[in-house]
Amino acid sequence: MKKIIILLLAGIVLLSACSSGSDETSESGDNDEITAWAWDPKFNIAALELGEETYAAEDKEFNLKIIENAQDDIVQKLNTGLSSGTMKGMPNIVLIEDYRAQSFLQAYPDAFYDLSDHFNIDDFSDYKIEPTSFEGKHYGIPFDTGVVGLYLRTDYIEEAGYTMDDFNNITWDQFIEIGKDVKKKIGKPMMTLDPNDLGTIRMMIQTAGSWYLEDDGVTPNLAENEALKEAFRVYKEILDEDLAIITSDWSQMLAGFNDGKVVSVAQGNWITPSIKAEASQSGDWAVAPIPKLDVPKAVNASNLGGSSLYVLDVPGKEKAAEFLESTFGSDEDFYQDLVTDVGAIGTYTPATDGEAYKKEDEYFNDQAIVSDFSTWVDDIIGVNYGMHTYAIEDILIAEMQQYLDGQDIDDVMNDAQQQADAQLK
Amino acid sequence: MTKFKRIFAYVFLTIASIISIFPFLWMLISMTNKSIDVTRGSMLPGTQLLENIKNLFQTVDIVPAMVNSGIIALVTTVLALLIASLAGYGFEMFKSKKKDIIFNILLLSMMIPFAVLMVPLYRMFGSISQVMPFIGIDTLAAAFLPTITTAFLIFFFRQSAKMFPKEMIEAGRIDGLGEFGIFFRIFMPTMKTTYAAAAIITFMNSWNNYLWPLVILQSPDKQTIPLLISNLGAGYSPDYGVIMTAIVITTLPTALVFFFMQKHFVEGMMGSVK
Amino acid sequence: MSNRMKINATGWFFIAIATVVITLFYFYPMAQALILSFQSGLGANLSFVGFDNYIRLFHDPTFITAITNTFIYLLVQVPVMIVLGLFLSVLLNDKKLKFKGLFRTAIFLPVITSLVAYSVIFKYLFATDGVLNQFLVKFSIIPEAIEWLTDPFWAKVTIIIAITWRWTGYNMIFYLSALQNVDQSIYEAARIDGASAFKVFTRITIPMLKPIILFTSITSTIGTLQIFDEIMNITGGGPGNATTSISQYIYNLSFKYTPDFGYATAVSFVIVILIILFTALQFRVAGDKND
Repeated sequence: MKKIIILLLAGIVLLSACSSGSDETSESGDNDEITAWAWDPKFNIAALELGEETYAAEDKEFNLKIIENAQDDIVQKLNTGLSSGTMKGMPNIVLIEDYRAQSFLQAYPDAFYDLSDHFNIDDFSDYKIEPTSFEGKHYGIPFDTGVVGLYLRTDYIEEAGYTMDDFNNITWDQFIEIGKDVKKKIGKPMMTLDPNDLGTIRMMIQTAGSWYLEDDGVTPNLAENEALKEAFRVYKEILDEDLAIITSDWSQMLAGFNDGKVVSVAQGNWITPSIKAEASQSGDWAVAPIPKLDVPKAVNASNLGGSSLYVLDVPGKEKAAEFLESTFGSDEDFYQDLVTDVGAIGTYTPATDGEAYKKEDEYFNDQAIVSDFSTWVDDIIGVNYGMHTYAIEDILIAEMQQYLDGQDIDDVMNDAQQQADAQLK
Repeated sequence: MTKFKRIFAYVFLTIASIISIFPFLWMLISMTNKSIDVTRGSMLPGTQLLENIKNLFQTVDIVPAMVNSGIIALVTTVLALLIASLAGYGFEMFKSKKKDIIFNILLLSMMIPFAVLMVPLYRMFGSISQVMPFIGIDTLAAAFLPTITTAFLIFFFRQSAKMFPKEMIEAGRIDGLGEFGIFFRIFMPTMKTTYAAAAIITFMNSWNNYLWPLVILQSPDKQTIPLLISNLGAGYSPDYGVIMTAIVITTLPTALVFFFMQKHFVEGMMGSVK
Repeated sequence: MSNRMKINATGWFFIAIATVVITLFYFYPMAQALILSFQSGLGANLSFVGFDNYIRLFHDPTFITAITNTFIYLLVQVPVMIVLGLFLSVLLNDKKLKFKGLFRTAIFLPVITSLVAYSVIFKYLFATDGVLNQFLVKFSIIPEAIEWLTDPFWAKVTIIIAITWRWTGYNMIFYLSALQNVDQSIYEAARIDGASAFKVFTRITIPMLKPIILFTSITSTIGTLQIFDEIMNITGGGPGNATTSISQYIYNLSFKYTPDFGYATAVSFVIVILIILFTALQFRVAGDKND
């Protein structure tokens, strides 16, 4: 009995202690401090910190509070906060993945601050414009590119009798042909595939300038989408020919190449640090342009992921916009540091002539990979990712299973189209 | 019990224990390994332990997060046990038609997925922030207030109270104890194991609570443990060795709470009180 | 009479705080959610649509798959877990058992093992070339490797194993605590009468524990109908949507896709109705006089 009373008292003391504690901070929180939400400490957060440092030279008073949260967590917090209608607790600056940007801009049109006057959109890669703008206004300052490459184990392909030239600007079908031969000669599959993540499909169809949706960003484009059907065919063939290891999560994908189980990795350039994590493979890697789909107008360049910075319409927005304007929006030198210190490749075109971009990378046999990636960025065909990338992808993931089980591609896509039309009306 | 049955009991429990312990053990092993070995699912201990601990403390503020989670879990446990056991006892011992209707309605509250309550709740705390900022958005109080009573606990205490001999209450009344006296002096001490079980479960649920603290807490200094671990795994190339280290360290408090509380699960509690 | 009224008034006080708190933090938001379920639109652009959301449910293949999956989990997993939990707690309640604390802690460990750790290790163990398959094939228990995570049937089995693994110890705690409150003299009397262990279990233990068995079966039903963590972390709902659950679908509708809170809420209220039916059924079967 006594114990319980003591516990109770302790509880009450704690309760009052923490509520008074929060009092103090909420007072200090109303200062000039600018808050930013982002994910990944080594990449996005590091980039923002670098921006803060750079900007401090201009404005010593400037105080940026960067709050780290996982991407899914940010999406959840933003959706809860913005749809509740209370802007309280929302940050000044937030990082949003390009695939999701339209969904936020259109679902909460009053929540974002127009940055059109704060930067020149033409300074950035074309393909970044569509996701970051809405009704002619530019709400997001484009940040990193998700430009993809085909990372290859040079030692493996040489063993099988190939050189990097054999992978230069090829189609996925050529990739499969080489893959079959490599598999026969050295017994290694080409890549890993995760059936629950259709990133590979997204990457493939963007080589043809196609997407899950029509250009309007709302109408599902599946039943008549030749590029998508072609991508499904390629995907199935890779699996049928045993050229891929099936994985079920991110860590298994990382282990696939770190362990030397696969010959290639087709991913966005942000995978570079993960590849370099296995120091013993230094000198064994090179990057080729991504294979394209065998359809008209397809190019050997595509994108996977990538995000941009947005300012919310809350007190402090002008300051936040100024900060972004003078760093991410216009500073060429800043972008050099970004490449050198953080390893992030921006989409600010004037910066690509800088020294840092031309640097060769020892790990990749002295290939100037940043420069190569930047060249490919220019070729990416811009598409309107629209509002429903992940909703449609979940439908496609289920349909992909049907297709792999032998159903006809047209039936599968018609079915997907029907579901999407019903769900997204 | 025959010898055969005894052996069976030991064999069965040992197998069940091994199956249960295995992932926990792997978690312990993984904290000594490099990220790359963790992703390979290595079962062998490595030499990376100190390095992982060092990296963990360098990259995140784990101590303040432990303190925040600790405050939230302790306050929740104390308040929830008290409020819910009062109610569970009340519903069972002062049974009436009206109260039973209320009880059934209260049960409804645990049937709705919390995800859909978040937006209205957030709006509510937004309004609370205007008048009482000390329990509004971004305060620890806001993180635990919705969990200081749950229908789950009330239900548990009510069902447990059904096993409590009613004669003891009558005896208490004859001894001149008031209704609260009976509750605090007879019911609480007698039902020690019920409280122990409730404490374990409540502490653990609160310590692991994710969705609500995630949306309501904004400042880094208010971060709780599950949010911190979620952040660690968020990057393009997470360090799984460090994540496992963080997980092991942050699992210890619940393990300790369990270990000390389960000691109360000894037989003959009723006998000693009678 | 006045004394009785006094006791009655005190009775109301006992339940007052809890009722107020739950009304404030659950029923008030629930009422708002109910209104929301008659609205539709993305994000903040909402408009009233009457029963459209509820009608849409019946034509939504993802919802139908999710609800079927969830029922499969419920029907297989809840009975298995409850029987297993009861059995373990009776074994662990044996006076003469040695290493009791150790066994109890071991079996409870899954409850506190972090979901992150356990999903990584589950995926590793259940991978097609994983430890479990290697073991089973080596000892010729199965002819060839099972695709635990990528085959629609086996992925469901894996989820059921995972839920059972994680929550059996949780339910065991409630049984253990209840067993302490059972009068030992009843057992002694039975033993003197020469009742077999099985008889003691079915004729004494189970009836004595009835309120708690009812409690665990209802809360497990609710928990399983709302199952989310295991699926999100182990299979992500896949392959395809072979393991997806209602709660995961609600989460996707609210946060993964452009949020459609109106529809997500309508889906939630379907869960609520299902749970009410199940709970009423269980109260009825148990003959508990709460109503």
